[in-house]
Amino acid sequence: MKIGLEMHFQLPTRSKLFCSCPTSSSEPNTAVCETCLGFPGSRPFLNRQAMEMGLVIAKYFRCRIPERTWFSRKTYFYPDLPKNFQITQYEAPIGSDGEYMLDDRRVSIWRVHIEEDPGRIKRVGRSGEEVSLVDYDRSGVPLVEIVTGPDLASPEEARRMVDELLLELRHLVGIQAQDEQVVRCDCNISMGEERVEIKNVQGLRNMERALKAEAQRQEKLLAAGKAVVRETRRYDEERKITMPSREKEAEDDYGYIGEPDLGEFHAAAIAARLCVKETPLLRAQRISRQTGLDVVKARQIVVTSWSLSALFERLCAEIGPEKAAQWTMGPLSSQWAALEGTEDDIVAVLRLDADGTITDAEARRRIAALAGQEVQDADEGEERHELDVLVSRFLDSHPEVVRDYRANPRSANAVIGHVMKEGKGRFHSKEVAEAVRKGIEGRL
Amino acid sequence: VTLSLRRLRQLDDRYHFLREAAPDLDERCRFTFSAKDNICAAGMEATAGSRILSGYRPPFDATAVRRLREAGGALVGKTNMDEFGFGTFCTNSGFGVPLNPYDTERSCGGSSGGAGAAACLIPDHVAVGVSTGGSIACPASFCGVFGFTPTYGRVSRYGLIDYGNSLDKIGVLSRSCAQTEEAFLAIAGKDERDPTSQAQPPLPAGGRPVRSVAVPVEALQGLSAEVAGAFDGGLARLMGMGADVTEVSMPSLKYAMPAYYVLATTEASTNLARYCGMRWGAREEDVNQGFNDFFSAPRSKEFGAEAKRRVLLGTYCRMVGFRDKYYMKALAVRKMIIAQYEEVFARHDVIATPTMPFVAPRFDDVRAMTPLQNYSADFLTIPPNLAGLPHLSMPCAYAPLPVGLQMTAPHWDEMTLLAFGKEWENGFDFRWPEVEA
Repeated sequence: MKIGLEMHFQLPTRSKLFCSCPTSSSEPNTAVCETCLGFPGSRPFLNRQAMEMGLVIAKYFRCRIPERTWFSRKTYFYPDLPKNFQITQYEAPIGSDGEYMLDDRRVSIWRVHIEEDPGRIKRVGRSGEEVSLVDYDRSGVPLVEIVTGPDLASPEEARRMVDELLLELRHLVGIQAQDEQVVRCDCNISMGEERVEIKNVQGLRNMERALKAEAQRQEKLLAAGKAVVRETRRYDEERKITMPSREKEAEDDYGYIGEPDLGEFHAAAIAARLCVKETPLLRAQRISRQTGLDVVKARQIVVTSWSLSALFERLCAEIGPEKAAQWTMGPLSSQWAALEGTEDDIVAVLRLDADGTITDAEARRRIAALAGQEVQDADEGEERHELDVLVSRFLDSHPEVVRDYRANPRSANAVIGHVMKEGKGRFHSKEVAEAVRKGIEGRL
Repeated sequence: VTLSLRRLRQLDDRYHFLREAAPDLDERCRFTFSAKDNICAAGMEATAGSRILSGYRPPFDATAVRRLREAGGALVGKTNMDEFGFGTFCTNSGFGVPLNPYDTERSCGGSSGGAGAAACLIPDHVAVGVSTGGSIACPASFCGVFGFTPTYGRVSRYGLIDYGNSLDKIGVLSRSCAQTEEAFLAIAGKDERDPTSQAQPPLPAGGRPVRSVAVPVEALQGLSAEVAGAFDGGLARLMGMGADVTEVSMPSLKYAMPAYYVLATTEASTNLARYCGMRWGAREEDVNQGFNDFFSAPRSKEFGAEAKRRVLLGTYCRMVGFRDKYYMKALAVRKMIIAQYEEVFARHDVIATPTMPFVAPRFDDVRAMTPLQNYSADFLTIPPNLAGLPHLSMPCAYAPLPVGLQMTAPHWDEMTLLAFGKEWENGFDFRWPEVEA
């Protein structure tokens, strides 16, 4: 199965792409002006911030960024499009030939470009008497379009990719990721030779459902020895199936020409001045590189919380990556909501733990206290009991240790070594030594 | 200011050059001006000569209009034009045809025909026109006035109803070159509302002297006898003013016309897409139909024949399969022609040609023309327009109707043309048409 996505995200600028209208409004048709309504005589001018956000995204994907970029007119007739052409990019997108690593799978990013959103059509009224209303507040809102190659292998993978990207883009340019509806996708899917495009799927869940439905449809066709026809379909959210799109094939000819009103932009020069902020994924990769921690684990930490990953990096420096990972992925991440803000105290506790001043159990208790939780002593008692059991079991089977102890107290080292190994690091060496001394002396 | 609204209406009753007169006229103004009907002025109807825009009253001033008002000008009206600028004789307006002040059975030229007539009929008047492929120079030639088209991008197009955005230029028609210059200086300059105006270098204080004039031999073919004779006289006068005249060859100019019509119609077909009765254009009564039918009805009803022809041509030129062959190739030809101009300007100060190959034609002759003959009439004005070069049409003789001489300068070198034009008008024997009071 091959899946490729064309994803559209709204860029979080305050004003629209080609005019100074706000990008949000409380009443329909209030955030409009002569430019985004296409008044004859009006003219677009570029919102630089949108261009910069787009370029940061292109850089993030390690795209090739052209020296010069420009906009194009995509002409088609539709009631929500005031000019009956959309200003988008065609020959000179701000980014091309990039890549994204979905775990260890390389997903090629064919292009990144920016464009204006059309208005929004609303159907209102009782069934059978519906009328269409158009809200132009969305007309001219900046979008970034990201087009992947057919490198995704399942609807689940496609969903995971978009899910990850939402998080990444939130950190990168501030895209609002709370609402999973923010993404609009055209999904290309092929189970055999021909691909089918499912146009304009709104939201993450619908995307996955649409892809699953289409995969099943194609599978059935192929199993029955029938051919999949190359076509454009749409996803019916109610019936959870894909249907042939009503638009005719011929309408795919958008007659692109250059947009003469906006001029050209020195994309590479603008991009050179912009820096790509560290995103969760980039941080995980860096942490993995620097500490040797598995990248999947590093991502788990980063995805749990940005501040947890910052603490993890501090701990790596203080107590070493291995212990830092144990603590971070264990007690720290499980109570992070309560612990956030007490980083200095946590570092202090774990420093004491690392130099042997306190036991692991004590450290755990203190951290729980930082999280505002009383830990039952039973826990600790239980552990101590377990340690004692381990010691006496060993002494039972190795009476020679007790026998030799009087002449050579170092015979206890064999017991300590064994118990430390059995305890898999749960017990502190000082604790173990103490328990062994007590155990042997009790049998003398 | 000697013009009164009464006088203006009298003139318009006879020559039909206005679309709409201003409701009042501030007599303390420094000068009067008119705007071609595709230039927006707040509250006044702006139809670009098209019935599909009947009733459109933009709530804003075009930058050129605003700047002329700020310079002390009073807007007296909107001048008639070929629909969206599609024409050479101003016979393609949805609102009647302006008549040539020298002979009312003849054309004013187009597409800024109303502006040509206004400039000719009203002393001390600034008629703001727009040129895409020669729409300022042509009416200036036929109406015996100065017609100045600046470099593409020199004057903000904010508030201009688009024909071909990469070619449209706002300029000035007037009886006097000095007044033309004054108006040009008022409207020129960067404007944040038109990004293409922002690449311009500052205007120099004055022009360079015109010492060497190039005349492309290709421009001397297909001229009427009157124009050929008048142009020779014009060149003689040029030489008398101390300029050398040299014939040059510019073979690539022959590709200018096809390239121009491809680019202009291609852009026009996208610009006119919005006039579909949804937000712009007369709305269909029956809303219970598919949107394609709903959109087609007003376009079929309200666009004139020439507008339909250009929408079809332009749409064809950008369709998949034809785009590379026509649109992309035309873009390349434009670059080639600019390069050819640069070669000539490396050795000469300006290029001179007649403006039009004939004097203002009679309306019955215009009606007999095929579209191709019609388009071919622009073969002298199209090259500088395609290349975005500044050019000035000056009255150079009367045969007995006025004949224009067109001078073209390098990009951004408007001041050389205007300085020369002022020299030219000094001592030129103007013959203004007799207009009944």
